[in-house]
Amino acid sequence: MFSRWTLVTLLGLALSGAAKSSTGDSVLVVLDSISDKDNFSQFFNGLTDKGYDLTFRSPKDAKPTIIEDDVAQFSHVVLFSPDSKNYAQDITPQSLVTLLEKGSNLLVALPSKKQTIITSLAPEFSLILPPPGTPLVSHFPERDTPVTVVPVTPPSSNPILTPNTPPVWFSGVPFAYGNNPLLVPILNAPAESFAADSGSDSGADAVVEAADKGGEGLWAGSQMGLVAGFQALGGARATWVGGVELFSDEYAQKELPQGVKPGNTQFTSDVAAWTFQESLALRIDNVTHHLVGETGPRETYTINDNVVFTAHISKYNSGKSAWEPYSGITDMQLEFTMLDPHIRTSLPPATGNPGEYSVTFRVPDRHGVFKFIIDYKRKGWTHLQSSTVVPVVPPRHDGYPRFLSAAWPYYIGAISTSIGFVLFSTLWLAGDDREANKKFAKTTKTE
Amino acid sequence: MLQAFWNWFDPTAWYPLGRVVGGTIYPGLMATSGVIYNILHALHLPVDIRNICVLLAPGFSALTAWSTYMFTKEMKDESAGLLAAAFIGIVPGYISRSVAGSYDNEAIAIFLLMFTFFCWIKALKTGSAFFGTLAALFYFYMVAAWGGYAFITNMIPLHSLVLIIMGRFSSRLYVAYSSWYAVGTLSSMQVPFVGFQPVSTSEHMAALGVFGLLQIIAFAELVRSHLSSKQFQTLLLASVIGLGVLGALGFVGLTYKGWIAPWTGRFYSLWDTGYAKKYIPIIASVSEHQPTAWPSFFMDLHFLIFLFPAGVVMCFNKLRDEHIFVILYAVVASYFAGVMVRLMLTLTPVVCVAAAIAFSSLLDTYIDPIEPESIVEGQPEGDVAGAVDSKKAKKTAPQPTSTALGDIVSKFSSSSKPSRPHGIFGLNTRLIVILNAIGMLIFFVLHCTWVTSNAYSSPSVVLASSNPDGSQHIIDDFREAYYWLRQNTPENAVVMSWWDYGYQIAGMADRPTLVDNNTWNNTHIATVGKAMSSTEEVAYPILRKHDVDYVLIIFGGLLGYSGDDINKFLWMVRIAQGVWPDEIQEPNYFTRQGEYRVDEAAPPTMKNSLMYKMSYYRFSELFGGNQAMDRVRSQQMPKTGPTLDYLDEAFTSENWIVRIYQVKKEDLLGRDLKTANAFAQGKKRKRTKPPVRRRAV
Repeated sequence: MFSRWTLVTLLGLALSGAAKSSTGDSVLVVLDSISDKDNFSQFFNGLTDKGYDLTFRSPKDAKPTIIEDDVAQFSHVVLFSPDSKNYAQDITPQSLVTLLEKGSNLLVALPSKKQTIITSLAPEFSLILPPPGTPLVSHFPERDTPVTVVPVTPPSSNPILTPNTPPVWFSGVPFAYGNNPLLVPILNAPAESFAADSGSDSGADAVVEAADKGGEGLWAGSQMGLVAGFQALGGARATWVGGVELFSDEYAQKELPQGVKPGNTQFTSDVAAWTFQESLALRIDNVTHHLVGETGPRETYTINDNVVFTAHISKYNSGKSAWEPYSGITDMQLEFTMLDPHIRTSLPPATGNPGEYSVTFRVPDRHGVFKFIIDYKRKGWTHLQSSTVVPVVPPRHDGYPRFLSAAWPYYIGAISTSIGFVLFSTLWLAGDDREANKKFAKTTKTE
Repeated sequence: MLQAFWNWFDPTAWYPLGRVVGGTIYPGLMATSGVIYNILHALHLPVDIRNICVLLAPGFSALTAWSTYMFTKEMKDESAGLLAAAFIGIVPGYISRSVAGSYDNEAIAIFLLMFTFFCWIKALKTGSAFFGTLAALFYFYMVAAWGGYAFITNMIPLHSLVLIIMGRFSSRLYVAYSSWYAVGTLSSMQVPFVGFQPVSTSEHMAALGVFGLLQIIAFAELVRSHLSSKQFQTLLLASVIGLGVLGALGFVGLTYKGWIAPWTGRFYSLWDTGYAKKYIPIIASVSEHQPTAWPSFFMDLHFLIFLFPAGVVMCFNKLRDEHIFVILYAVVASYFAGVMVRLMLTLTPVVCVAAAIAFSSLLDTYIDPIEPESIVEGQPEGDVAGAVDSKKAKKTAPQPTSTALGDIVSKFSSSSKPSRPHGIFGLNTRLIVILNAIGMLIFFVLHCTWVTSNAYSSPSVVLASSNPDGSQHIIDDFREAYYWLRQNTPENAVVMSWWDYGYQIAGMADRPTLVDNNTWNNTHIATVGKAMSSTEEVAYPILRKHDVDYVLIIFGGLLGYSGDDINKFLWMVRIAQGVWPDEIQEPNYFTRQGEYRVDEAAPPTMKNSLMYKMSYYRFSELFGGNQAMDRVRSQQMPKTGPTLDYLDEAFTSENWIVRIYQVKKEDLLGRDLKTANAFAQGKKRKRTKPPVRRRAV
């Protein structure tokens, strides 16, 4: 008995020692009050089981701070404090953006009723919130819950989510997506849902009136988002959730109208895995370039050289907590750029070597400072960006072809002139002496 | 070593285009320094290459003096040659390029110019193919050293043409010109930067045409010696007309087909001073390309400019072939010097030569101790004999002193030598003129010393001003800023600045630059001009596209340094307008009244331009609530200065002359930087409405 326990502890230690996330395993959870954590015990236990190291604080606690001495103190920050209006000094919209800049990931739940710093931060992520106090309402499908508690079917094709996740319970506010390519929609509202401040059927007219008045139309339909990811340019990820209840134990156990268990547990786990950079995390290990037939990179290339460009790309495997070579990208491109891309070619995976992508191309007939550029941005995946500068120079003075067939007229001209000169000189020198003597005699006489 | 230079591709200049240095430079100067360096090291004299570069110009100015002496000697005599050498040694017009540290193409080019001309004159005089070839070799050196070689390329054909027209064709001319042209052209084509230009551009066509003409004339001479004069006359007429028409047609046809490049803009601007300003602002923007102001003639040449016409007139007296050359040179160079300040340099040698001829004639006449016979018994004698006599007399005469002069004069006059009809009577006339002449020389020396110490002795990167108590105050902002760049930025950080500072940044800060003083690509310069004269929002994509990390500007408003970027700004606008006439318009940078202002009344386009914002960013804060004052333009600046969203101030030098800004990276969240900045400053953003996708109910 005792030995079995030690084994389990050891195993747990071993697991916790290996970070599940590719960026670190310290998580700060900000809750309205620390006692709330029992409401989300399934979600938090799931994270702890994966090996995360959770720290809880309430918004007004001064410690632990999220950024100290300009260093982010946690790899991930979860803001499950929708009802708090006041925060300690270290949590401001600006500091949260700074946190992303420093590489920490954010998981934020939007407040449903109040205007807080969270609602003023959302527009910076191009999320447009409905007027305050208008939660998502849906009368379909028929169920015994309030109209604001809505079962939503997750999309089946999103790479972030496990395929065929059952519908999840949601309650909270929807939002509209701004025009920002960095946004990654994860869960959209059902087509028949809308945002309204009144859940009762008698308020229908009021809803229509308000929609007309606001000039924004009715907040309705499947274009509204409920859960959205955001892939910041530095690589950090932020996820916005319309309502914190999505993660609650209550919703995870509440049966769907069809009588099956909801997908909340699976869904929240997937969302957390993506946010904390467990899934869909890629990186470029290295890039190399060399001439065809050589192995080492050159400092400069000559125009019209044939160059091989190779990139090694890894994907994070959260199961093994390790980066593994990844050859699954088929639509990557390589650009050879000076101001504008002079060459844009596909960079396909090399057969035989996992994780290697390679392409051979001819350097353009143009000298200058060129860059090999990989710019791979796909929704949900880590952006892959790499830029390698290499000067392309004109041929050396002795690098040009020595004889040109087009120059034959000139060769003939030069040769014939030389021959003619030699012939003329010989004829002149070996010519008739007598006449020259005569002339010479004449000239001497005249003098 | 030469090959490495030849194949040098500089990826840090003209980023990201790069510069093929070997193919876009006149390598003569560097090759010369390299050769000197290697020779000294072969002699085990370990001299640093930098010392060689610094002292190259003074060294070559000695050679210039020598070649001027040789040249003038051909014109008159040794005494004139000595005077000319002395003149060119200290004349400000040339000393500007021959002070130590003036490591410029012109430093060696003027020597080459004079020596090529000397060889040409010598070749013409003697009809020697050797001197013709020597002229060609020095011509080749000149081509390798300075773009001004085109002056020789056109001067020598012009001289030959005038000689032909004057009926002075001779076999000497034929030999001299043919050997010079053939060898010179072939060798000049070996310079990579010149390449096929000698046979494909209009500037070189005159030389080719004269070469052809000489061949025809020589052939005609040959034919004439074999035919009767009657037949010859008709044949000559027909062939001259036929060939002339044929040649002209061929030239026009080739130009039309594009095989001969038409005149370049720089060339047009020589004839029409307004041309460059209208069509190629980049040329007009250089202060050295402006028309010369009258005072600068006096400043650069002092009393030589008054003697110069006299010397030219004296050349008419004898009018040998070489005198025609000096006359032509004087006329052409005077015109060019009037058109462009920079070409004062080509005028200076001929001014020295002509002035020396005039001055030495004056001295010859007045120091000559022989008193003329009285007119009554004077016998008319040939001029030539008189000249020879005066030469002989000068050689034999000891330097006359003022006290003993009378005795000597009387001794000579009573000697057996044949007396002359012209000359000076008495001692007082001589003394007045000679003392005046010596006085002029003294003033000339004083002037040259003064100009040299004031205008040409201080380096342009270190400014000097004087404190109220008269002590010198050194303003070293440029070096401070370049050193900052060198120490604090990554080695591959690209710096954008106006092209004036390109070489300085490359040399002193060792950072890649977008444009530099080698202004070969107008579009790239216009791009920088556009970035500087546009709003931040427009400029930012340009900066990002060119990987610009830092922007460097020169601001003189605090110190009153008038050569700053705001004063050059209109040129940036004009150059940018030349390429993007729809986006940049010069009138937008003036007030409605047509004034160029930077204060409250400045037009919005001006106030929003990147250059204005960078110049005056936080400028008013410096005055602690008082009215800020721009000391260059004497205008009062607004209390609240411009704001910058896309750039960060990185460095400002002690006297605010150099300001360096860092270009911000794209925003993390994909916002535009203006919004991001407002957010970071805690400004509340207006509630955004969803994009209109839904219909009203």
